Amino acid sequence: MNNIVLIILILLGGGILSYILNKVTPLFAGLTAFAATAVAAVLFFTGLSANDSFEFTLGGMQLSWGINAYSWIFGAMVMAFAFLALLYSMSYMKGKDRLGYFYLNYSLSVMAMMGIIFSRDFISLFIFWEIMTWSSFLIVVYQGLSEGRVGIKYMIFSAIGGYAMLLSIVFMKAEMGSVLISDLIANFGSFSSGNQTMVGILLLITFGVKAAVMPLHVWAPRAYADSPMSYTSVFSGLLSKMGIFGMGIMLVSVFTQSKGFDAVNMYLISSVLAWMGAITGVMATFYAIIQTDAKRLLAYSSIGQLGYIVMGLAIGTKLSVMAALFLAVVHTIFKGTLFLVVGAVERQAGTTDMTKLTALIRRMPLTFVAALMSIIALAGIPPLAGFVGKWMLYESMIVSDHYFLVIMAFLSSTAAFLYSYRFLFGIFLGQEEPETKDVKEAPALMVIPMMLLAGLLFFLGAFPGYLFEPIANGMEYLGMGHIGWNATVLSNGWGDHLDTLAVVNSIVIIFVVVFIFLGLKNRKKTRYVTTKDVHTSGEIPTENENLTYAVDFYKPFERAIDPVMKRKMDFYYNRLGEGLESFFNFLRRIYTGNGQTYAIYVIIFLVILIIFSKQIFI
Amino acid sequence: MVISPVHYIALPLLAAFLIPLFAKINKELVRIIPGLVLAYLSAVSIVLMQKVVNTGQPVIETLAGWQAPWGINLVFSAFTGFLATLMTFMALLIWIYSYRFKKIDSEPAMKYYILFMMLVTGSTGIVLTGDIFNMFVFMEITAIAAYSLTAFYRDRDGAEAGFKYLLIGSFASAFVLLAILLLYTQVGTLNMAQIAERMHTVPTGMKITILVLFVTGLGIEAEMFPLNGWAPDAYSQSPGPVGATFAALVVKAGVYSLIRVIFTLFDIHGAFDFLVIMGIITLVISEFAAMKQTNLKRMLAYSSIGQMGFVLIAFGIGTKEAVFGALFLMFNHAVIKGLLFMSGSYLVYNTPSKDIKDMAGIGRKFPFMTFFFALGAFAIVGLPPFAGFWSKLYILLAAADEAMLGLVAIILMVSIVEIVYYFRVVAKLYWGKPTDNEVYHKPTFGGYISMTILAGVILLVGFYPDVITGFIDRAADTLLDKGEYISNVLPKVQELVNM
Amino acid sequence: MDPVLYNKIVSIGIYGSAIGLILIGLYAVLVKKHLTKIVIGLSIIDSGIHLLFIAVGFIKGGTAPIFSPKGIELVNQGTAMVDPVPQALVLTAIVIGFGVTAVALSLVIRLYRHQHTAKIDHIKSLKW
Repeated sequence: MNNIVLIILILLGGGILSYILNKVTPLFAGLTAFAATAVAAVLFFTGLSANDSFEFTLGGMQLSWGINAYSWIFGAMVMAFAFLALLYSMSYMKGKDRLGYFYLNYSLSVMAMMGIIFSRDFISLFIFWEIMTWSSFLIVVYQGLSEGRVGIKYMIFSAIGGYAMLLSIVFMKAEMGSVLISDLIANFGSFSSGNQTMVGILLLITFGVKAAVMPLHVWAPRAYADSPMSYTSVFSGLLSKMGIFGMGIMLVSVFTQSKGFDAVNMYLISSVLAWMGAITGVMATFYAIIQTDAKRLLAYSSIGQLGYIVMGLAIGTKLSVMAALFLAVVHTIFKGTLFLVVGAVERQAGTTDMTKLTALIRRMPLTFVAALMSIIALAGIPPLAGFVGKWMLYESMIVSDHYFLVIMAFLSSTAAFLYSYRFLFGIFLGQEEPETKDVKEAPALMVIPMMLLAGLLFFLGAFPGYLFEPIANGMEYLGMGHIGWNATVLSNGWGDHLDTLAVVNSIVIIFVVVFIFLGLKNRKKTRYVTTKDVHTSGEIPTENENLTYAVDFYKPFERAIDPVMKRKMDFYYNRLGEGLESFFNFLRRIYTGNGQTYAIYVIIFLVILIIFSKQIFI
Repeated sequence: MVISPVHYIALPLLAAFLIPLFAKINKELVRIIPGLVLAYLSAVSIVLMQKVVNTGQPVIETLAGWQAPWGINLVFSAFTGFLATLMTFMALLIWIYSYRFKKIDSEPAMKYYILFMMLVTGSTGIVLTGDIFNMFVFMEITAIAAYSLTAFYRDRDGAEAGFKYLLIGSFASAFVLLAILLLYTQVGTLNMAQIAERMHTVPTGMKITILVLFVTGLGIEAEMFPLNGWAPDAYSQSPGPVGATFAALVVKAGVYSLIRVIFTLFDIHGAFDFLVIMGIITLVISEFAAMKQTNLKRMLAYSSIGQMGFVLIAFGIGTKEAVFGALFLMFNHAVIKGLLFMSGSYLVYNTPSKDIKDMAGIGRKFPFMTFFFALGAFAIVGLPPFAGFWSKLYILLAAADEAMLGLVAIILMVSIVEIVYYFRVVAKLYWGKPTDNEVYHKPTFGGYISMTILAGVILLVGFYPDVITGFIDRAADTLLDKGEYISNVLPKVQELVNM
Repeated sequence: MDPVLYNKIVSIGIYGSAIGLILIGLYAVLVKKHLTKIVIGLSIIDSGIHLLFIAVGFIKGGTAPIFSPKGIELVNQGTAMVDPVPQALVLTAIVIGFGVTAVALSLVIRLYRHQHTAKIDHIKSLKW
């Protein structure tokens, strides 16, 4: 049987099976889901070739599935990361109830993502997109926090995105009669001007909601925070990349098909998108800095990073798209790891509030190493992979003369340092407190995926070429033309080179040398002190002194950016929602409950129809 | 006994009036007889549908030997047969569900089954008949049964809902009767095929007046705005299975009669646009009103009205694809709303205050009911891979083909509102601490079976709509082909006249 | 009196009274507050429609539509038969109206038992 169909069916069957087996014992639920993902991953990596395709007709619609170089990147990401996240989840979810429900929806999300990747026509894409939406909605409400309001907000935005896609499918069918993605790319140039804009904007809205571009991002922070962490890693790492997947196709393949005046139009839309990506990057980073809860911090950070990626895609040069896709993959790895870390901390220490956690570095050293690696990658510091991506992105923006965007990107990158440090400090560093004395390291099943992912970051930082190859193939498939790459050398448009291997080598050598030197030199003189010894140097602290750094960590910063943060987008959406609800309340008063009133409505209807019958019916 | 459409009318009516006699023999027979009748009718449906599909001709039954157009004839064509089959199967499932439904048991079960059988007679009669006054009579039978079933529980709310339904329903019958009267004076016949044939001889002013009367009267039954004031009360105060019956049988018959009048009897083109506009108004207002409901069944009632508005829009667009989508939507709505009412009524039954707010966390105590309700909610909103998605897709594509893109946008916006209020309930059902109340009414075994069957149908049609699309395609063709209807029913008129 | 005028007056009288009945019934249903009066109004509307039916089917000077020997003789002489169809329809409609009125009254009784009032103003608790 066709491997593509097999993968989808295995994931679907795994979900259903784990729901059923949950009645036997909860252990089986996780195990089944994990096993199904493992089998599917193996099939994906070994059994697929570019010629695999699966076409069938369902209900009069021609559906077509297949794999190409571009979607392979995302498919590999989904399969590899889902595999590790499910491994983690088996031990993270131990002891929670209704695991069958959880794993069913988890597997459905993964299956839906693979379906999206395999789709070659928009109807399949829509079907799988909606399945992904509702299965993730069911997990957002799984833990029952905040009365489902967060889930509803998520559902509304995702529904707006999904229906935007449906509307554009309707446009497409009217224009071309077919809904194949390849047909859209081929015929987009011949659409009418209005239709090009409509289809373009609608599809960008669809993918933008998932990729949390401002102003469509308001669902993300709380949705990410309210789901169980083992799912949020997939949520933030993979589901958002589906939006990037779609945007890549749209911006790179479809929009470039426009000709003449329409091309200017499309270019305008892409530029606006680039700006929105940049603004998202800056604003989300600012919001991340002032959070006190580690989950929310990471959520806003995700939105910011996704803003970068969208910016890179929207700029549209070869180097920027490559940078964006590289950053997308790397973001999945490090953000996923960070969410796994927060999950481990939450499970071991019981809270993720950074004002309450301290000094877990001694208790959870391995988790700390994973977190450290991810933070370094997030901040874009060499020798890890994030640096490579960021470097390429900056270079591409400078080369293509988007100087103001460069400034905004630098601004948000620098601000990212602030929250990166806060994350590390708030959770792992600082003074030891008695509350966190008994925290133990996370179980092995949770630590192994984190370390593997951290190692991957290091590896990709040294040998980015392993990632360049599939990305270049993908971009070539999208129609960007051949891109030169090299295993360890990056080059920008001016002919400068950056030899990552050399960078990594030098850093490693320096690290080792200094470590040995310091270790040997001060071996006899080092002794262990607790962090409480020198705290206040014998003075009694007064009432208004802040005793721990973690509280009001960035108070001056908050005061500085307060005017910018005065109104959140959320506020406007809530106002809109309330206005609509009161309008609905007014409308339902038509049904007054008095039988005679209804009878009067009937008579009025009849009279109006008779009086205006000529106008209505002829 | 030859298999014939007349069994649809004769058997349930016979059963309805013999039930009191059977009750004297054995109390249990009261419950079983309707089931036997419905099972037999389902088998009849399958046989007749096979015949219609194989021969391509409708099965026409002339009653008492009087040929059309003087006698009454029953027409089981691809279109009417499809609807009749749907109604019979839904009635069978509702019977299974209500077999030992606790609250009905505490009321006289006999009266329930008598009324139920009468309602089945009336609804299938409306769909199958080929004579317009006969349709009126069956409408009245359905109406009386419906009024009484609405007020079935002896509480005050039921009586109030029943009375309001009666008030508005009487208007409906009055207007339809007036319309039939005027029509008769113009064309001189009551046979629908002959009316269709002679319609072009009627002066336009009179035609429009008659159409207006018909639309008002039948619109009341089809839950058009602003004629649907009775609907929320009737759906919410009636027993659970009765609510499902209304959604699956009564309103389908109402929409059928409206469609038959507009498509087959009259030939006024403005009527189609009128349907679209009224459908839009109905859809928008009822979905908006549903947002703020706190009573679960009332919310389902408004949602039902909205779906009927959607069906009217689709019929109003008028092309083959649109009619196909409309029929598919009618099928989906009957199945899904049936499931929603069935599971919803158990959820309401186990909540003393009947308020949605107090249903928090009920998903832990009743996982199956919540699952069925969630499945129904996902399906009716139109999410893939469930059945409702395909019908919505077809209708939207048909609207786009007619360049009614504003309509598509309105429908999608209303769909978002639908998602909000349904998912609000689903989220509330699944999360939270269940309130500690002592009432714990487990669903009956029959309830489980019927709900599982409906859920299975939803999933099957969702994953593989081709199961149904063949039948619906034929049904759509039959509906749109007026000439075929006339020639099938009145083949030998010329010969008879010449006799 | 002039036969044409006479016929015209009779026609207007019959049609007019039928329509008048309908309007009176409509008034009762829409304006009156007492439940029983509303039910009576429904009944009056039905009566009006029935009268209208019969009036429409009447042919001047026509005879009863029964195949009795006298009737056949009259038909052969050229007298038309009154249209039997509306009369059959009206019979059916009368029975139906009777049934509906019975159900309506039983509902009124039940409402009265619960509410101890029969004003329609007070039975609007199911609203919005």
